[in-house]
Amino acid sequence: MKKLLFVFALALLLLGCRKEAPIYGVNNVDLDLIETSKTKLKTPNQFVAILYANLFQTALPVNKLVEITDLIDAIGDDQVAYEIIISNFMNMPTVQIPSNTDMRANPEHFIIETYKRFLIRRPTEAEKTYFINRINTNQNITAELVYFSFALSDEYQYY
Amino acid sequence: MAMKMNRRDFIAKSAKVAAGAFVVPYILPSGRLFAQTGNQLAEHVVYVLFAGGVRQQESVLQRYLDDSQNFPSAGNIMYNMMNGAPPPFKIVYGTDVPNEPNGSAPIPAILNQSLQSQGTLFREVKATTTGHFSGLNTLITGNTGASQGLKQKPIYPTIFEYLRRHAGFKATDCWFVGNTIGNSTPLLDFSEHPNYGAQYGANFLCPSVAFGSKGIEHLSNAKIYHPEEELDPMYKMKYFLDNSFKSNGGIPVPNIGNTEEEKQQIKEFVRNTFLNQASGNIAMPPVSDNGDLRNVGYACEVMKAFKPKVTVVNLSSVDGCHSDFTGYLRSLHRADHAVGFLWDYIQNNIPGMANNTIMIVTPEHGRNQNPNPIMDDNDWFAFDHSDANSLRVFTQMVGPNVPSNLSIGAETNQIGTTMDNVVTIADIFGVKQDVLGSGLINGQAMSLFDRI
Repeated sequence: MKKLLFVFALALLLLGCRKEAPIYGVNNVDLDLIETSKTKLKTPNQFVAILYANLFQTALPVNKLVEITDLIDAIGDDQVAYEIIISNFMNMPTVQIPSNTDMRANPEHFIIETYKRFLIRRPTEAEKTYFINRINTNQNITAELVYFSFALSDEYQYY
Repeated sequence: MAMKMNRRDFIAKSAKVAAGAFVVPYILPSGRLFAQTGNQLAEHVVYVLFAGGVRQQESVLQRYLDDSQNFPSAGNIMYNMMNGAPPPFKIVYGTDVPNEPNGSAPIPAILNQSLQSQGTLFREVKATTTGHFSGLNTLITGNTGASQGLKQKPIYPTIFEYLRRHAGFKATDCWFVGNTIGNSTPLLDFSEHPNYGAQYGANFLCPSVAFGSKGIEHLSNAKIYHPEEELDPMYKMKYFLDNSFKSNGGIPVPNIGNTEEEKQQIKEFVRNTFLNQASGNIAMPPVSDNGDLRNVGYACEVMKAFKPKVTVVNLSSVDGCHSDFTGYLRSLHRADHAVGFLWDYIQNNIPGMANNTIMIVTPEHGRNQNPNPIMDDNDWFAFDHSDANSLRVFTQMVGPNVPSNLSIGAETNQIGTTMDNVVTIADIFGVKQDVLGSGLINGQAMSLFDRI
């Protein structure tokens, strides 16, 4: 019995006093891009694929991507073609846009999320102030129009 | 004797002088005052890049099957463009009629008087190349340098860039209506030349794609926004984003410089064209059974909507000659029908362009003297484009200030090159010296008016 207790005590001693493994903490780091880091122009193919993902929160089937890219070739001015394509997307029932009620209930949150969704960065204070002011003072502005302006912006065409 | 001027006259004359001082000077993108250094010969040019490789033997020389297939039937199958009687028999180039051989009904002429009678025909012109893309490059740049790297635009400035920079044309004054987005055609709207480029480019449209099944699915259902209540605030937000991007070192997106008003006009044109198409109201030629003919129909819609200063229309169906000579004859006959319709439509249905348009028609190159071994359903041989015969083409001009019923050159006397057309168009708009002064036009090129 004494022998058994001795073995048990020895096992407790060896196994129970293990040195704790270190746990390292990680500070939150903002990895958002800044505007000036975007210098590469998206190809029409990239633009359409990313636009669709941003507006519908799902990937565009490859055959549709090829068709829409052909249409951009067929209308020489890319900017005009993009505008028409966005207008078509906006007419589709599956487009994922926050409601105007949600936008107006918390414009700051809406603008921050819109910047993150389209431009992969947070707005500056000036940008945030501008958009909140626009939303609060102009009843014609809808979430759809804000999305449209971001999708047409120069910055959105770069990565 | 001193003349008296009353107070009212004095004020009126002073106002006119002052207004003149403010109104007349106009600074062009080239940095020069005044748009022209020469006389303008017409206000519009329609430039047809004709058909995709045409043999002289079946066009200007009117030999039909006599030369190509050793079959004794010669004649003119392009009677809207040229004088001459059609072939007497073995007709295959027309439309199909029941119980008759295919193509046995020639398409009736549209023009009462051929373009040859109305204008000037350069019968034997030197093409600078036997390739499609390089040929089209030469026709729109007036030079021979071309490379077909992946997505590579012309090296030398296009006629659109010369006109926008030196004559002050706006973007919707210049259109390239292409029959395809293949063969690098959409790259021809502007060059990659550092002194010209996108900012002086043309609007490009390929109607067969834009208004085809893909366009119907992805473009025709565009949401219509209220201009003041919706588009205006949307653009204001976009401009804010653009300014913010630019002020932080962002690069503006290169574009051909359509103004917002022009963009709106183009979007409206696209919307209306879908509606007109659905209701069968596109200005199609009487026969429109191939891509070239339909392309010309849409080109007429573009001209009706925008009254462009310069409209380039590309046709290429005859390139089927690589493997189908019968199809080539049919396409050639239809290309003539297309050009005849185009000219007739401008004169009778586009008041802003009628009697004020010069049309120029040139193939980008010819086709071989000898056939390849491929035979079609009629057991006729096909022709590629690679030998000296492929460097032989014609050029036709018609319109105000173009001599009528004039034929220049002969089979043994080549006059003119495919590089001349850019200088000729510059000449028509009174900016020939500016374009030549750019130093970017081939040294052998000259205005066809100077070759007459």
